[in-house]
Amino acid sequence: MFKNYLKTAWRNLMKNKMFSLINILGLTIGITVCMMIFLFIMNEFSVDNFQTKGKNIYRVMRGFNNASQPTPYLSGPYAPALLNDFRDDIKQAVRVMPSNDLFVVGNTSFNEKKVYLTDSGFFDLFSFPLILGNAATALKNPNSIVLTETSAKKYFGSVNNAMGKVVEMDKQFQLKVTGIAKDVPSNSHMDFDMVVPIENFTHDDGFNVWINNRLFVYVLLNEHTNVAALEKKFGAFMMKYMGHDMQQYGLHFTLSLTPLKKIYFEPASEFDNIKHGDKTVVLIFLSIAVLILLIACINFMNLSTIRAVERSKEVGLRKVLGALRNHLVWQFIGESILLTTISCILSVGLLLFLMPWYNQILGYSLTVSWNALPIYLFLIGVIVIVGFLAGSYPAFFLSAFSPIQALKGKLRIGKGGSLFRQALVVVQFSISVFLIIGTIIIIKQMSYVKSKQLGYNKEQVVIVRIDNNDIFNNKTVFKKQLQNNSNIASVSLMSGEPGGFFDDFNFDVEGHNEPWKARTEFADFEFVKTLGIKIIAGRDFSSQFPTDTTDAVLINRTAAAKLGWTPEQAVGKWIQNKFRDDNKRRIIGVVEDFNFLSLKENMDALVIAPNDDRRVALVKLKPGNIQAGIAAVKDVYNKVATAYPFEYSFLDQKFDELYKSDLRQQTILSVFACLAIFIACLGLFGLASFTATKRFKEIGVRKVLGSSVQNIVILLSKDLLKPVLIATCIALPVGYWAMDKWLQNFAYKTSLSWWVFVLAALLTFGIALITVSVKAVKAAVANPVKSLRSE
Amino acid sequence: MIKIKDLEKIYRTEEVETVALNKLTFNVNDGEFVAVMGPSGCGKSTLLNILGLLDDPDGGSFLFNGIEVAHFNERKRADLRKRNIGFVFQSFNLIDELTVFENVELPLIYLGVKGTERKERVEKVLDKMQIMHRRNHYPQQLSGGQQQRVAVARAVVNNPKLILADEPTGNLDSSNGNEVMQLLTELNEQGTTIIMVTHSEHDARYSHRIIRMLDGQTVTENILV
Repeated sequence: MFKNYLKTAWRNLMKNKMFSLINILGLTIGITVCMMIFLFIMNEFSVDNFQTKGKNIYRVMRGFNNASQPTPYLSGPYAPALLNDFRDDIKQAVRVMPSNDLFVVGNTSFNEKKVYLTDSGFFDLFSFPLILGNAATALKNPNSIVLTETSAKKYFGSVNNAMGKVVEMDKQFQLKVTGIAKDVPSNSHMDFDMVVPIENFTHDDGFNVWINNRLFVYVLLNEHTNVAALEKKFGAFMMKYMGHDMQQYGLHFTLSLTPLKKIYFEPASEFDNIKHGDKTVVLIFLSIAVLILLIACINFMNLSTIRAVERSKEVGLRKVLGALRNHLVWQFIGESILLTTISCILSVGLLLFLMPWYNQILGYSLTVSWNALPIYLFLIGVIVIVGFLAGSYPAFFLSAFSPIQALKGKLRIGKGGSLFRQALVVVQFSISVFLIIGTIIIIKQMSYVKSKQLGYNKEQVVIVRIDNNDIFNNKTVFKKQLQNNSNIASVSLMSGEPGGFFDDFNFDVEGHNEPWKARTEFADFEFVKTLGIKIIAGRDFSSQFPTDTTDAVLINRTAAAKLGWTPEQAVGKWIQNKFRDDNKRRIIGVVEDFNFLSLKENMDALVIAPNDDRRVALVKLKPGNIQAGIAAVKDVYNKVATAYPFEYSFLDQKFDELYKSDLRQQTILSVFACLAIFIACLGLFGLASFTATKRFKEIGVRKVLGSSVQNIVILLSKDLLKPVLIATCIALPVGYWAMDKWLQNFAYKTSLSWWVFVLAALLTFGIALITVSVKAVKAAVANPVKSLRSE
Repeated sequence: MIKIKDLEKIYRTEEVETVALNKLTFNVNDGEFVAVMGPSGCGKSTLLNILGLLDDPDGGSFLFNGIEVAHFNERKRADLRKRNIGFVFQSFNLIDELTVFENVELPLIYLGVKGTERKERVEKVLDKMQIMHRRNHYPQQLSGGQQQRVAVARAVVNNPKLILADEPTGNLDSSNGNEVMQLLTELNEQGTTIIMVTHSEHDARYSHRIIRMLDGQTVTENILV
């Protein structure tokens, strides 16, 4: 019997090539999208699962004045002190300091951005397997280095060739390669290209100063340790080591532990800039995948049901010949499963084909493990669920035919069935319209953000990081030489470029009893000029007032407002950074607010002070000859930091980086919205063909009686487009609501203009109209004799 | 074999009530060949549907081999049908997606007959109907006469006691029609009971007895043999 069903199913597929194509194409796209999302979600939730000791590994977090978000950055002495004070609970503590260093082998030098300076137990605590070398001893000797496979190949051509060779680090250390680690997988929150013993740096300035923050501390707890109880003891620990500092600076620090597995999904911020995932994105992706698959399933249900009319004879006959209802139900569900299986096989092919593109959008390589069980479980799950979901309605519908009616072909798909089908089309198009609205709003918001006047000049500004000793030591020379160059408009050295790092500090302020928290920019006197920021009260820093360096600050308009002053009132008031300043400083000027943070965040109070802390140089080029300007910067850089390769970026590129995940969502959503409407239209095309066939005779009679082609096209299209219209009406308010919610993410948002909704409605309606018209026109221009002859 | 008494069937729509069978009573004996005739709308097809257990009567009694079947549920009807009744239709009603062999095989599949036995029985009946050479063809590749021979083959492959034929020659030219009638006669001679609905006086003369119907009732019965 099974063989017979299979035969019938296969021949039916072959006989109705268009229907089969619509179904298979729709399902294939739907399943492919689902698989892509499944792989993505699998990867997201598998982050750090490979760490065998992961269950007992925690990252130590430092809270700051009860700020909502703690930071993982600590200083050097924490780890040994924690190990010493909590011997019963903490088995192992490993410091990990992300770093950026110069590495030289022979004549080639690289500025490596993913260097980890760690304690020697790093490879013991974390499961990053070594291809060569011994994990327990690789970092024991301070003069050793472990490279990843890729770095080893980069420096020495091959893994075997690298072992035992020497690389020079920061023109200071000669390090011998003692191990080669496998490349860090994409599902790890840690990411490094090389690991160097931290011992080389423990005598650096500030390394052992408790209040500093520059490294992560990971601890391995004992099996029996009660984490909550341990965290309770951290209060006394902090008082013991930090009590003095806390009192002096008016700060309150706390310590807590985050389990390794939870690190990845903690919110990303400039205070915790390791790789983070976003559960909202996961959720959005998941919903889209389900919606697209639903659209494809609905096509299947609709097309199979209307095809029932053609197959009614078969159903009737099978019943006459003794088939019971459940025989037929299983036959049709079986066909549906067959179709889904074919689509699944095609999807796997399509997926493999699309993987490179998908990885590019995601920004990292997803690893598809074809030997892992979950992917097969997923595929089987899809086949069974989609097979049943898509096949059940047609199955029950078809099998319920009365055999007499079915045989006579007098079968009518009742009003109920037709209503149900229309309802399904409404669902499909609601989803499509909704996705289109979402896409347009995201694109609109992104272009709004892109074109928003940020309050500073971002054009022709080159960012050069002060990220090595040479450039750091020679930064003043670097600046002076550039200032003398005719291609350069101005140069400013600062702690963070707009969109970059702006640390929080506590201030004592005139007339305020409580410490006041604000963001800080430490910059030289050219800051305002280079960025083209507007002074709204007072004056800029000036070399005519030599005491400005020690006595002056600028604040922004928001800072003045938060302190209860007008810009004019603020000028002349004193303010003191509790951590950085020995003396009070005067506010000499107030600058207009400029968006130094991402537009997702509200404008914050900013204090611009000339204190030391230079991490980046912004070089404003003169308009006209950008190439000559960059060549000039490179020239000077190579003179002052001879060994280091010159690297730069543009300030206006910062945008793409800042909104990377939003841009990614935009791309993926656009693609998915197109796919959704494509699959929905495939279904509509199928329905249109069916209607045209069903009303073939009616059209003939109407034409004989004098109806024009135009009238017939309208007649046919009207009914088909009604559900599309209803869908639009449903999707518009839902889309409005959802996108309004999404925009809440941004402090600065575009308006939900009426035209977006009109455009989405018109787009959907237009595409649907074209789809339906193609069929309707064909039916309408057919010779009526043909249709009437069939009687 | 068949005893029906006061059989009623009424079709209702919202506005109209049509009496298709109006207290119809007659019997058919084992091995008989009965023709049912009458104008369009007299209830012939309704009668055939009820006799074939494809439809429920609204009243009266229907004994099939002595068993009251008027109110059997679907499962019981399907079971009785597939074991005892073969159907031949005016429009052949072959499944287009199946070959000649597969069409004829279908009733045996639903009877649960094993594959090897199925093959044997199908080949035997195809041979008998002289369409063995067409076994791998699809219905649309056959002439009308050939299609009806396949339909007859399918109707007899499970050795039914009763064959119900609904205008079996209606879509055939006279020579093909005669061939089919010849086939039915042979089957009847081998012991199969046949009830045939027809418009054709010519075809009706092949039967033993003609029942003439009008407005859901029998009006006359002519015994020919």
